[in-house]
Amino acid sequence: MKIACLWVPELSLIAALRAEPQLCTEPLAVVQAGLGGRAHVLGATGAAAGVEAGQTLAEARAICPRLLSREASPERERAAAQAAREAASAVSPRVEEAGPGLVYLDVSGLESLIGDDRAVARALVAATERVGVRAAVGLGSSKSVARLAARAASADLTLEASASGVGGGAFRVVPAEEQREFLAALPLYALELPDELREPLRRFGLSTLGEVAALPPGPLAARLGPEAALLSRLARGEDSSALAPRPEPSLFEEGEELEWDASSVEPLLFVWKGLLDRLAQRLSARGLMALELRLQLRLADGSWDERALDLAAPTREVAALLQLLRLSVESGPPPAGVRAVRLTAVTTREVLEQMPLFGSRGASPTQLAAAVARLSALVGPGRVGRPEEPDRWAPFAAVCRKFAPPPPPRVPLPPEIEVSLASRALRPPRTAEVRCDDSGSPLLVIGEGALGGRVVACAGPWRTVAEWWTDAPLALDAYDLELAGGLLIRAARELATGTWRIEAVYD
Amino acid sequence: MTLPARRLPKDLHALEELLRDGQVRRAPALSPPAPRAIPTGLPPLDAALGGGLARGQLHEIIGPSGAGGTALVRAALASATQGGENCALIDPGDSFDPAPCGIDLDRLLWVRPHDPVQALRAAEIALEARFALVALDFGDVSVLSPPKQPRGVIQLVRFEKKPPSPGASPWARLARRAEKHGGVLLLLARAAQAGTFASATIELERGRAQWEGQKGSPGRFLRGVHVVSAVTRHKRMPPSAPLPLHLPLGPK
Repeated sequence: MKIACLWVPELSLIAALRAEPQLCTEPLAVVQAGLGGRAHVLGATGAAAGVEAGQTLAEARAICPRLLSREASPERERAAAQAAREAASAVSPRVEEAGPGLVYLDVSGLESLIGDDRAVARALVAATERVGVRAAVGLGSSKSVARLAARAASADLTLEASASGVGGGAFRVVPAEEQREFLAALPLYALELPDELREPLRRFGLSTLGEVAALPPGPLAARLGPEAALLSRLARGEDSSALAPRPEPSLFEEGEELEWDASSVEPLLFVWKGLLDRLAQRLSARGLMALELRLQLRLADGSWDERALDLAAPTREVAALLQLLRLSVESGPPPAGVRAVRLTAVTTREVLEQMPLFGSRGASPTQLAAAVARLSALVGPGRVGRPEEPDRWAPFAAVCRKFAPPPPPRVPLPPEIEVSLASRALRPPRTAEVRCDDSGSPLLVIGEGALGGRVVACAGPWRTVAEWWTDAPLALDAYDLELAGGLLIRAARELATGTWRIEAVYD
Repeated sequence: MTLPARRLPKDLHALEELLRDGQVRRAPALSPPAPRAIPTGLPPLDAALGGGLARGQLHEIIGPSGAGGTALVRAALASATQGGENCALIDPGDSFDPAPCGIDLDRLLWVRPHDPVQALRAAEIALEARFALVALDFGDVSVLSPPKQPRGVIQLVRFEKKPPSPGASPWARLARRAEKHGGVLLLLARAAQAGTFASATIELERGRAQWEGQKGSPGRFLRGVHVVSAVTRHKRMPPSAPLPLHLPLGPK
């Protein structure tokens, strides 16, 4: 079995640079407020010479006066870790996320698909860079060897700004025949050993894994406990821990914490743009599209404002999604300032286009979906879709459903068209004043604009009593009227109130 | 010289002789056939349009309310959707009635913009998405006419980047989009809007309504309406004679 380990060292720094890749070459430190309100450095770029994790921000600034600082953002880190996991899933379907920014994957059998072990490792580095994350990749025969190989590869990491975030990843492949030599040369501090084990080992004069492997495991465990037995097996490359792959989550998240309370939509648009760009890149890398977009806003009072945008069609078009977010927040502003933003996409597979051999090329399902999403963003949700008569009795009513056209027929049938007078619905119906004769027949319509005039001919009434089982019962007498000038209208008188309304115009 | 295949010599050597002498030459590559036009559902009108609504063109239907413009638009939508093509109806007046009218509603995208400006943009997006027929229904909304330039004013020409002219016609852009993506843009309006950017203009006149039954009796019904249509302007065809049409009232 071949196992690869994808590790994102300094996750907080990488997450910050993924959002602002232009800072890769600047002296930057990611800090976190510690005890007493003092900010401590979690990680720093290479340009911040001398600045190390654990220093206070004041100490770091004393060493590097030009130091820029960014607060650590759990939202960003979560998104970066998730992106790394997705990158691993793009290479192998058997993936185990052992922790934030630490992923193991089974890469057995990928030779025919990708190439040899080095090609697989290179593909993993490239996949993580496509989602804007810099990672160290190790490949070995077991999880522990792969982890140690990734740690060894981290020494070769660089920091480069890329279009999608941060690049500069590195990899190390440990073939089975070189495993013993590789492990033997590793220093003990490469392992995260507990203090109670590290100190006795140091006192025994042991400094490398090779020296530990040379000792008999039984007496070592008898002296130093069961953890030393584990270490001995590890030093000999005997790792029996199995990979525990988990199903891939169908949700894709991107988040950002703001340094101030955003109380208007403009700063939020700026933040959403960055988040959507990264989200679209991740979806594109996996051949997915957003079916639904959820927006979560953490407010200044600590509460969450959550809303779901049901997209008219699957899309990953940033402009359309941005416009929908804007419409959502403008139509219902959050009750307080916004501290943090989280976007979650529920995904679906992208439908690929089958090009026709003969005839003109029509719109692909993806093109159609993108157009529907753009139109929905333009005119507002609920105003784009397939027209349908609602399942209730209401004159000239219509609702919008999801537009999902069936595939075109193989042999189109000749259309059977009967051109008939159509009705143009007036929504809502226009109230009018109608004068009638003694028998109740309309004589004169006084309506808004051109909807008025002397009645030349009329037919009706046709009584309708419906919806009496609801809170809005319907009881009316409908007439077809021809007005002087030739306009043909459908008018109705409500029986309960006696008011007239014009429901449609024939055209 | 072009010869029908049956008049060519059957003997291979004789044919080679003719080729050598240059008497028979290879015909230039035949241009691909023009894509089939979308029929309007009215054969006389299709004939006047040269087969129907030509793809890649802007067509305009003008007529007062009650003259059957909406009926023509829906017939074209029914024709295209029944042929398995996806269509879009841009309806800023929110007036579409989905009662059975022959349109395959599964293939119709209904867009309800808030104003004419949004409607124009929506039509552009729909054309870019390669909908076969995009119907723009301005039957209920008034469209702002482009500001007129005063005559006799000499404009200074400045060699600097100028903002787009406020009089730049949206119809020019839409006509270009239709041509580029091969869709039919069908505009319904009460007065001419697209001007020379329309490839064909169909004008409608309201006729008399047809009633059945005695006046005042409960059995009286509106049966339909007589209208007169004419293709008054076409880029490839001569203007047509007035075409009388009868539009019966559909089931309601």
